[in-house]
Amino acid sequence: MALIADPDEDLVRRVGQGDPAAIQAMVARKLPRMLALAQRMLGDAAEAEDVAQDAMLRAWKQAPRWTPGQAKFDTWLHRVGLNLCYDRLRRRREAPTASPPDRPDEGPSPDRGLMAADVGSRVNAALAHLPERQREAVVLCHYQELTNIEAAALMEVSVDALESLLSRGRRALRLTLADIRPGTEGG
Amino acid sequence: MTSERFLALIAAWGADARRWPEDERAAAQAFAAAHPEAVRGALVEANAVDDLLHLSRVAHPSMALRDRVIASAAGAGLKARREGRRWLDRLTLAFGAGWAVAACAGVAAGVMMTTHLTADAQAEAILYQASLMGVDDTEVLG
Repeated sequence: MALIADPDEDLVRRVGQGDPAAIQAMVARKLPRMLALAQRMLGDAAEAEDVAQDAMLRAWKQAPRWTPGQAKFDTWLHRVGLNLCYDRLRRRREAPTASPPDRPDEGPSPDRGLMAADVGSRVNAALAHLPERQREAVVLCHYQELTNIEAAALMEVSVDALESLLSRGRRALRLTLADIRPGTEGG
Repeated sequence: MTSERFLALIAAWGADARRWPEDERAAAQAFAAAHPEAVRGALVEANAVDDLLHLSRVAHPSMALRDRVIASAAGAGLKARREGRRWLDRLTLAFGAGWAVAACAGVAAGVMMTTHLTADAQAEAILYQASLMGVDDTEVLG
């Protein structure tokens, strides 16, 4: 099997050796990515922080025994983060007494202009209401900037299936947000 | 590259060629260059969705979260063995400097850096600052 080039290889090695600077650098490099992944997958800031923290804890435990060349560390970390998100999403589904998240506002009120923050919130709400697999595909490919191969492998689907999920997700977002014209919102 | 495949590709990946699958990117770009009229409408539509997606914002990690995550490294066994918290205090300074250096780099470059690239720049700056401050394995871990 061909060895996989990993831009994080040296950093992971140093983290595994307990290098404090490398630990700080790993936090700078990966914590924002894990937090963004969890925020967009879960739509809940507090839960996202818990997931990001837990994913990083697992990174610390994994680093000393990480074997370079078999996988990208970033892809492995995304697998960890996604699994933590899945766990929480499954718990939500299985909790009959839990009240569902409030239905987000899906349209501008008459007395409110389309400020940038409002628009961003509406995009996030539209993302949150995509079917789970479509949301996952959009989050991994568009926001986390994984390749088609990486995202398909993480989702355990073919690249064709991934493309189908992406297309359907993007189409649904366009329909939901049809009244927004990017570039016209206030700052 | 067929017209059908090109349209399917941008419906999934958007109008930005940098996001297109690497193994099809060159062929798709050539197709678009050869058939500008045929692809214009689809590219405009895909670009509109890209622009919508770019409007999504997420919170950056708070300092409290960063502190908890760094502390968890010690809990996981990745702790300095000799200098107690001194290395952490010095690196907190380095971390702040790393943010500043990365921000300056973005401004100086005059480009809109993606979150991913910004994070990488911060990480590099932290490692650089740490090297200047002499915080290394030899000193800290002995």
